[in-house]
Amino acid sequence: MEKILTKKSFSKWVKKLESYKIYAPVKNDDLWNYEIIDIPESIQPDYPNTVLSPKKIIFPQREIFLEFKASNEEGLEVKEILPEERPAIIFGVRPCDARALTLTDNVFKGDFEDPYYWKRRNQTILIGLTCNIPPSFDCFCLSVGGSPHSKDGLDILMTDLEDKYYIESLTKKGNQLINLAKDCFEEPKVMDKKDLEKIQANSEIQIKRQIKDIKKIPKKLKGMFDTPFWDKESLSCIQCGICTYLCPTCHCFDINDEVASSAPLKGKRVRTWDNCQFPDFTMHSSGHNPRPDKASRLRQRILHKFQYFVELYENFQCVGCGRCISKCPVGIDIIEVLDKVRDYGL
Amino acid sequence: MVKVEDIKKEAKRILKEGKVKYIIGYKKSTNGLMSVPAFIESPEDVENLIWDPTCVYNLTRFLVDEKRRKAREKNPDERPVGIVVKGCDSRAIIVLLQEKFINRENIYVLGISCETTGVLDEKKLLKKLNGKKAEKVEYDEKDNFIITTLDGKSKVPADEILAERCLECRANFPVINDILFGEKVDRKLDNRFKSLEKIESLSKEKRWGFWKEQLDKCIRCYACRSVCPMCYCDECVVDTINFAVTADTTAEEKAQRIKWVEKSPTTSENFVYHFVRAIHLAGRCIDCGECERVCPMDIPLRFLNKKMEKEAKELFDYDAGFDPDQPSLVSCFKDEDPEDFIR
Amino acid sequence: MTDEFEPRIVAFLCKWCSSAGSDLAGVSRMEYPSNVLPITVMCSGSVSPLYIFSAFNKGADGVLVSGCHPGDCHYLKGNYYARRRIALVKKLLEFIGLEPQRFQMSWVSAAEGKKYTQVIKDFVKEIKPLGPQTKLRRNQ
Repeated sequence: MEKILTKKSFSKWVKKLESYKIYAPVKNDDLWNYEIIDIPESIQPDYPNTVLSPKKIIFPQREIFLEFKASNEEGLEVKEILPEERPAIIFGVRPCDARALTLTDNVFKGDFEDPYYWKRRNQTILIGLTCNIPPSFDCFCLSVGGSPHSKDGLDILMTDLEDKYYIESLTKKGNQLINLAKDCFEEPKVMDKKDLEKIQANSEIQIKRQIKDIKKIPKKLKGMFDTPFWDKESLSCIQCGICTYLCPTCHCFDINDEVASSAPLKGKRVRTWDNCQFPDFTMHSSGHNPRPDKASRLRQRILHKFQYFVELYENFQCVGCGRCISKCPVGIDIIEVLDKVRDYGL
Repeated sequence: MVKVEDIKKEAKRILKEGKVKYIIGYKKSTNGLMSVPAFIESPEDVENLIWDPTCVYNLTRFLVDEKRRKAREKNPDERPVGIVVKGCDSRAIIVLLQEKFINRENIYVLGISCETTGVLDEKKLLKKLNGKKAEKVEYDEKDNFIITTLDGKSKVPADEILAERCLECRANFPVINDILFGEKVDRKLDNRFKSLEKIESLSKEKRWGFWKEQLDKCIRCYACRSVCPMCYCDECVVDTINFAVTADTTAEEKAQRIKWVEKSPTTSENFVYHFVRAIHLAGRCIDCGECERVCPMDIPLRFLNKKMEKEAKELFDYDAGFDPDQPSLVSCFKDEDPEDFIR
Repeated sequence: MTDEFEPRIVAFLCKWCSSAGSDLAGVSRMEYPSNVLPITVMCSGSVSPLYIFSAFNKGADGVLVSGCHPGDCHYLKGNYYARRRIALVKKLLEFIGLEPQRFQMSWVSAAEGKKYTQVIKDFVKEIKPLGPQTKLRRNQ
């Protein structure tokens, strides 16, 4: 379904969506982040990219799995905690971030379906926004199979045509939202469609950064596990967790029991994000650490994204949002690293 | 500003003569304006070295890596490592020497005086340019930065985009060096804790509100810890890597291991982490401001360390990073230390 | 009986003085509030700031560190180190907005059972009006 929504009608539409939990990018000091919105007028879809992607809503950094309590009759009383049942809408999702969710979907389905992830995923509607201008200097979505107007993973894609939005509804869920406020929308004219095509084509030209011949990289990486390449590339790495925590596709987690009291035993089982760049990520309880240094940890990050994931799911585990480049404290540039990988003489 | 040619000349000389095994300095990044750390091994690579207002990093952090790497090597190269330092960074070297973490003979210090200026705050610059990309930033020796963007050049008063720490700097001149670039220029600084007073003057509840809001943002990426040259503990309190396990360790014992901080990024846990860091850096932090610069969530972490710096000065007349022979703040005492708070 | 708030105070007591002082108060049958959870440590200088943060994290309404008077340390100077360290911790906790009354330090010798009871009485009296400490407490 394709529609036109004037900017004036935008908040009118959002008001009709009251029954949903609405997230949108909010600026706090100089930082954009997704937050729950109460006042529809406060949604400003015009923003640079958020620090954290919508990953933090679908796959929150802390998720309570269950509560446990020692009890006389049953030994241990266990209560499952599932995410709150309430449909949510995320406004202003960048196409790369939506694509990222289609990649993490692969991980959380398969032999075991993760009920926590899917509960949130299924009840969340993603409304995307075309990146007319790249939200970051380090965007490279085109190189990894995305685009500034990619529709993957989205329910609705909005494109800013100055005084109005071109609305492309892509799923049933998207259609439902539009049908809730039919009178807010108009039918697109031929001119609008032309404007849309122009803007979308132009948006691609604006992406300046790219990885050439990326198709060669997975194969190349296969032979590079034991090379000194990683020692050199990781020299400046300080082993913080920014690249992975901010990545919209990174999904590793840890599960811990947070014990509130040991007698009587009481506590929660909690899942939190974990990070392959931390020393205790691979620490065995024997004291042995198979990834003992930063070279092996940087290698893991690159190999997971550009070799292992490709072998498993036929897709790079990277959507080119550029967060890991812009926010790296020491300027490690994944594009440069991959360029070097491609040109590395074995 | 010091000319990069002078630095290159010396760097080339010490590499050619084999005086150092490599030099840690700054080079241009591949993705924009800000410089990145460079590890220069051969005289030919010296050409990559740069020196400009984007050289923000405190490179002494890599001396910690160097020490660890050397400890793992069977036949380590015993030559010193060359390192480029600004005034603030040089104070970190003093603390590392004071704590006997590094030895003087293992480093060759190329000290650069910031003279009348300092380094940029990238976030301030981005804001100033309204999101436009800067290609180049130069200092005009008259308290202005000349910023080149695609639209041309513009002049910005230095104070507007200098890093906060530079505005409160007390060591624009390297306090330790083997070779020195630039002149010692005295800077006027009427109040080194000025930025702190804004928070201190708030009421107790407002202060709590401020810190809760700030630390609730923390995603525990530990970039503040990772970038800090003083955070060199083998095991950090938030990690659980060194818990000794033998064949006899029972599951019960493993489960009962002390876990000071949960992994969950909740208010209470974030506070414990940041408290520990602040206290552990008391009398050691030399205000290079790196923790605050790298924070992806823009938490003003520098204030926590600055507060400790202020208290060390006011309560114990202690200044970190000027004298490698003074005992460290919490491993010494004076009879007349204040005790009016004790019952 | 009223449902008055009864604070829980974690007290790190030096084995050589304050802990013995609290014993003296006990065997002398002195009366003092029962709000204290005493933890005997080898020296006030051995109290890591982490213990203090952790006590607040696990729900203490107040934390007391008590050691020997200056000059009386069993290890000669542990209490001097403690004095410095605790001063810094106190300033840090106040800076982030914790009520200063919640964290205190005292010198109590083995002979000062009476002083120990007074310290505890005052502590309880001062933090009762503040109510439970919820700022740094783990949300369980």
